[in-house]
Amino acid sequence: MRSPLASRALLMLLVALIVLVYGFPYAFLVSTSLKSPQAALAIPPTLLPQQLSIENYANIGEHPSVQRSFGNSIIIALLSTVITIALAVPAAYAVARYATWAGKTFLFVVLITRLIPPVAVGIPLFVIMRALGLIDTHLGVALAHSTISVPLGIWLLASFMEGIPRELEEAARVDGCSRFGALLRIIIPVASGGIAVTAIFVFLASWNEFLFSLLLSSTGVKTAPIAIAEFKTQYGIQWGTMTSLAVLFSLPVIIFSLLMQKRIIAGLTVGAVKG
Amino acid sequence: MPVIRLTERRFVLLLLAPAGCFLAVFVAYPLLLLLRNSFYEVSLYALNDGVFVGWDNFVKALGSSRVRESAARTLNYTVIALSAEFVLGFGAALLFNALGKRSELLRTIFAFPLMIPPIVAGLLWRFMLIDNIGIVNHILETLGIIGDASDISWLGDRDLVLFSVALPNIWLTTSFVALVLYTGLQNVPAELIEAAKIDGAGNWQRFRRVTVPLLRPVIAVVLILRGIDAARAFDMIWIQTEGGPRFASEILSIHIYRAMIRYGNVGEASAIATLFMLGMVLASALAFAVIWGRGTSQS
Repeated sequence: MRSPLASRALLMLLVALIVLVYGFPYAFLVSTSLKSPQAALAIPPTLLPQQLSIENYANIGEHPSVQRSFGNSIIIALLSTVITIALAVPAAYAVARYATWAGKTFLFVVLITRLIPPVAVGIPLFVIMRALGLIDTHLGVALAHSTISVPLGIWLLASFMEGIPRELEEAARVDGCSRFGALLRIIIPVASGGIAVTAIFVFLASWNEFLFSLLLSSTGVKTAPIAIAEFKTQYGIQWGTMTSLAVLFSLPVIIFSLLMQKRIIAGLTVGAVKG
Repeated sequence: MPVIRLTERRFVLLLLAPAGCFLAVFVAYPLLLLLRNSFYEVSLYALNDGVFVGWDNFVKALGSSRVRESAARTLNYTVIALSAEFVLGFGAALLFNALGKRSELLRTIFAFPLMIPPIVAGLLWRFMLIDNIGIVNHILETLGIIGDASDISWLGDRDLVLFSVALPNIWLTTSFVALVLYTGLQNVPAELIEAAKIDGAGNWQRFRRVTVPLLRPVIAVVLILRGIDAARAFDMIWIQTEGGPRFASEILSIHIYRAMIRYGNVGEASAIATLFMLGMVLASALAFAVIWGRGTSQS
């Protein structure tokens, strides 16, 4: 038998090694983006830039269509977030508070949508969007993204709302508040933390989405993932610029995720206690 | 103005209506169109009309060796990704659990890949796996595992590519599996483990007889969710290989996309998609019954 101290040190070492292996790829991406475009392709590759350079980032300036695609992604993700929250908040409240037959069926149907491969609804969605005149528009892509995030939003919000004590609404109802009034004035403010977390999830789901954007946008509202993916075919593989684009594209996701770590716990408790 | 009393039932329906209508128009209706299209010969350029062809599209789909091959690849890819994620994720969860509270910082770093957009993961691994300038082969060469940096062509070798395109998926989601299982492990009552220890159960026995049965619901959820996502994968593979070389990484969703967009064969693509979805529903139901059902009947 090894001593507990030795085995603990061994354990720590093992975990540190795993963490190193998992952390390495992204660190290497950031490191490569800070090399000069030539050094990014050096044989053999170096782990760290021998000379820091922002040339790869500066080169993005030569590609206005790629820059525009980031703007498109932001607009579409915001639109999709607004649509989803507007639709999912009332539905989640109904599902969480009133255990009716309709609510249960609804939740089940929502779960089933997870099984649908996006490629299956892609073409029919294309037909519908064309009939509505929404091909290659921000709204069209945002609506398509919402088909993924409305079910996601309902599930997340329903779990947040279940955590809100029933007494809060009952008290409001006794004081003469209508059902809608209780939802608007009591539930939504108390659930605002949960709604914020859901909004971030939805925003990121749209930001990362690939297939619907590929099908429903052409030159007009091309999103960043598509522009980045096509970047290689159009100009040959410029790996240096590619790595800087990848870093820029992942920044909002990383920032939001870091923000969210605290919000998830705080969001649930703060509202109810403060009131 | 007549006052309509807002009963509880009406109120619930009113709340569900907006989301319900949205899902009906943008999810249910497209699915019906998909089903209709699988019985029609439809061209990408005249999507609204088409000729009814009965079961023809299904017969063609089932008879096509390329469809059968991509179905087999989808299964292989899912098994490769899922088993690697599960083994690595469970291992990491057990290590974190053994370290207890001290593992917090390590867990935070380990959660990092969860925040990486899938297309970035795909691009990044594509870059790392390039044979001559890629860092992976360089590291293998430095460690003396391969003789030359161009010895392994990760994304160019037809026998290897399905494994290579699974790498970013594994990298991205092991953290998810690990963190969910870690939470599950934290919820295993310490008294049960203690009781088993007093009864003389060894480490392995405690793990098999106490921990795993208690974790079964969590394991079921993780496996099913991750399995569905791996089977539906599109973007990460598309960005690495677009299904190549010579279809060697063409899984079903890529094949369906190609059949529709590149070949304009909407009818047959719809039939394949319909079969694909049917398969997913059956596989999930089966997985659910096997993993969840066994756990409840044993206790």
